[in-house]
Amino acid sequence: MNSKTRGMGGGKGGDVIVETVARLMVPFIQLFGLYVIIHGAGGPGGGFQGGVIIASSFVLYVVAFGIVKAGNRFSEAKNIALFSTGVYLYAGVGLLCIICGLAFSAEFLNYGYIPLTHHFEENRALGMDLVEVGIGITVMAVITSIFFNLVWKREGEEVEGED
Amino acid sequence: MKSMSIAALLFVIFLGALFVYVAEDIPAFGDANSAPNRYVWLFDMDADGIEADLNQGNIPTILGDKLEGRGFPLPSGIAKLKEGEWDAVIIPEEKHYYPKEQKYYFIEKKGDKLDVYRYSLYIRFVEEGERETEVPNMVTYILADYRSYDTLGETTVIFTAGVAVLLLLRRKEKRPE
Repeated sequence: MNSKTRGMGGGKGGDVIVETVARLMVPFIQLFGLYVIIHGAGGPGGGFQGGVIIASSFVLYVVAFGIVKAGNRFSEAKNIALFSTGVYLYAGVGLLCIICGLAFSAEFLNYGYIPLTHHFEENRALGMDLVEVGIGITVMAVITSIFFNLVWKREGEEVEGED
Repeated sequence: MKSMSIAALLFVIFLGALFVYVAEDIPAFGDANSAPNRYVWLFDMDADGIEADLNQGNIPTILGDKLEGRGFPLPSGIAKLKEGEWDAVIIPEEKHYYPKEQKYYFIEKKGDKLDVYRYSLYIRFVEEGERETEVPNMVTYILADYRSYDTLGETTVIFTAGVAVLLLLRRKEKRPE
């Protein structure tokens, strides 16, 4: 195996240990990221932190298996769709608050008026969870996209230099 | 492809319109009448005899004693807002950095009782936040509830960073798809 094409650039079989450990670690890192997002209300954590943790699992995947395989698995089109999904989820929760609260005060992002439960305060807690999920999706997609784009550029330059 | 672009443009216009509509509704900073800026409840007391004093702008001795007994500063004047509602202001001394009168207490008549509140946004966040939102994490409920429009802006900043990286660094011809 040529050392130049191993790992980040090549993608055709790297180190056995690295691949095995990465294959074992990636699902647990993603599970931990989901835990941090969901438990942002009860403990330390939240959308930003959980999104970055999930994105770090994709970074680990790229380091172990190469950018080509990772790009096939997590395609750019889906990634760009996820970009805006998070922001629209956030703004959509705010709009839902306006619509559900029209009879009262019609305030943007006042989660208490969303009729999820019968208690105003619990509605606020659940609305916060929805918003954290939106933040997590956006941060995850953007960090992943930035990393993928940077790695693609570097590999392209190396190929041009070899040619 | 063409219809996708048009749909995306419509979504962008919709989101921009929503942001502008909402920004019109935000009260000015420090507006005492916005909901969370008012009222940390301190105590209540009997109203008989005190109300006339308050209407004349004097500080009743019972009220002053109660406030001092709890370690709060004495107000220097009372201003009447409307029937049954008063503001107690404090005029700081000359050496104070901002020598400007502060609204400190808010007194409201309910039945034959007087409710004494304090104007303080931050104390309300700390003391009342968990009861009002059912969330034990203070950072989360301030960021995602009381200051959620700010957090929406932060998410939009991250989104903009992602779009900028896409526009500047993307190389289409090198991709496998």
